[in-house]
Amino acid sequence: MRQPRPVRMSGAKPETGHFEAFLENPARFLLRAWQECGELAEFDLAGMRNTLMVGPDAHEAVFRASDAQLSASAPYQYMVPVFGEGIQYGAPLDIERQQVKMQANALRPAQMRSYAQVIAKEVEDRIEDWGDAGELDVYREFQKLVLRTSTHCLMGSEFRNKLTEEFGALYHDLEQAISPEAILDPYGASEIFEKRDRARGRLQDIIMEVVRERRAKGGQHPDMLQTFMDAEYLDGTKLPDELIPGMVVWIMFAGFHTSSNTASWTMVEIARHPEFVPDLVAEVDSIYHGDELLSFASLREIPLLEKFVFEVLRLHPPLVTLMRQVMEDFEYKGHVFPKGDTLVISPYVSHRIPEYFPDPERFDPRRPVSENVFAYIPFGGGARKCVGNAFALLQVKSIFCALLSRYQFELVGPPEAVVDSMPSLILRPSEPCQVLYRRRS
Amino acid sequence: MRVEIDLDLCQGHGICAQEAPDVFRVVERPGAYDHVELIMESPAEEARGRIEAAVRYCPNRVLRIVD
Repeated sequence: MRQPRPVRMSGAKPETGHFEAFLENPARFLLRAWQECGELAEFDLAGMRNTLMVGPDAHEAVFRASDAQLSASAPYQYMVPVFGEGIQYGAPLDIERQQVKMQANALRPAQMRSYAQVIAKEVEDRIEDWGDAGELDVYREFQKLVLRTSTHCLMGSEFRNKLTEEFGALYHDLEQAISPEAILDPYGASEIFEKRDRARGRLQDIIMEVVRERRAKGGQHPDMLQTFMDAEYLDGTKLPDELIPGMVVWIMFAGFHTSSNTASWTMVEIARHPEFVPDLVAEVDSIYHGDELLSFASLREIPLLEKFVFEVLRLHPPLVTLMRQVMEDFEYKGHVFPKGDTLVISPYVSHRIPEYFPDPERFDPRRPVSENVFAYIPFGGGARKCVGNAFALLQVKSIFCALLSRYQFELVGPPEAVVDSMPSLILRPSEPCQVLYRRRS
Repeated sequence: MRVEIDLDLCQGHGICAQEAPDVFRVVERPGAYDHVELIMESPAEEARGRIEAAVRYCPNRVLRIVD
C-alpha cells in the first residue's frame, strides 16, 4: 500500500507562510489544505512547520501517543497569561494532569444532578418574558443564557446574582487577547494584553473574595467553586486558594463559547430543518410536562435530541483544531515527524470524509453512529479528551427541551445565508442570524 | 462474558464504576492518568444489564463486552 507523504500546501508567503490565510478562517483553510494535499497536509505558520493529519487512523495515532511524545501544552503556551502561572499549561505536566482531574471532579454525575436543576431554572427564567412571539438574535441570546447557566453552576447563586455582568465584561477582555499576535508572542507590548492583564487581576480579586467569604462562613455549596476549594493533589496537599480563580477561568474557556455556539448552531439547524422537528417535539413532550424541572436521568435518555446535537457537532464542531507539538520523533505510516513539528487534528475536516459520513455536507440527524470510535471526534479523544463533554451535552439538551416544549421556530432570511464563521478561534454561525419564535398552539 | 477496556483512551471518569460497582473500579496512578480496572475478569451473567449501561454511558467509548 502506498504510504502518504505530507504534501506542502501552495500559497505560502516568504516571511509568514500561511499564517494570515490560516487565521482568516481556520476551518476553511484546513478544509482547503485537505482538498489540495490529502491525508497529510503541510503548512507553515510564521516559520513553524505544521501538518494537518486527516482521518481516524491519524486521530488514533495521536490520541494513543504519550504526553512525553506529543505535547498538548507546548502549542498552547499563549494561554498561560490568561489562566495564570501555576495553572494548566503554566504548570508542570504532573501538576496539570492532577488539575485536569480536579476539573473532571467538578463535573461528575453527583454534581451534574444539581447542575441539571440550575440550568433548567435559568432557562425558565430567561424565557419567562419572551411572550407569545418575537425575534431572536441567536448568537447573542445563547451567549447571554449560557453565561448565566455557567456562572451559576460554577460559582453559585450569590455570585450569579451579583457579579455575572462584571464577570462577562472581564471575560470578554481575556478573550480579545487570544489573538494572532498572542500566538506569536503573548507577552509583547500591546493594548489588548494590558487589558487582558488588568481583567485577569480583577477576576483574581473578585473570585478570591468569594473564596475568603466562604472559608470564613464555612458550609458547603453545590457548585464547582466548592469542588475546587475542597480539591487536593495526590500527595494530600490542598489546591492553593490563589490558584482557584485560574481554575474558574480555565473551565469557562473550555465550556462557555463552545457550549453557547453549539446551542446557536442547534437553533439554526432546528429552524432550517422543519422536517426533523416533529419527532424532536414528540420526544420532548413525552418527558417534559412543564410543571417540574427536568432531571439528570431524563435528560440522559433523550436519544433523538441527542443525535440531533451530535449532528450539529459533526458539521459545526466549535473547536476546529487540536494541536500537539512533537517532543520525540513521531512515526506515522512510515513517515517520521521530527521534534519541534506541530501536528494538527481537525474535527471540522475529518467529519467531512465521505467514506465515514456519506454526503458529508448534508445535515442528517438520522445518520448511523460510525463504528470507528476515531471517526467522530467533536470532543477530541484519548487521555486528553474534553472532560466536560457530558456537562456540555446536558446543558444543550436542557436548553432545547425547554424551548421545544413551548415554541416553534423559523429562520429569518434564506437558509443558506448562515454559514460557519470564525471571528475568534471558536466556530460559530455567521451574522445576521435571526430566528422567529411563536408559541406552540 | 468478558469485558475489554481500551486503557490508552480511558480517563478514569468512573461512570462505569457507578453503573456496575461490583465489576469496575477507578485506580489512581501517581505520575499518570487515572484509569479503570476490572474487579473480576469474567463477570457473572447476572451483571450484564449493569455492564451494558456502563458501556453505553462511558464518555470515551472504551468498554466492550466480548461473549
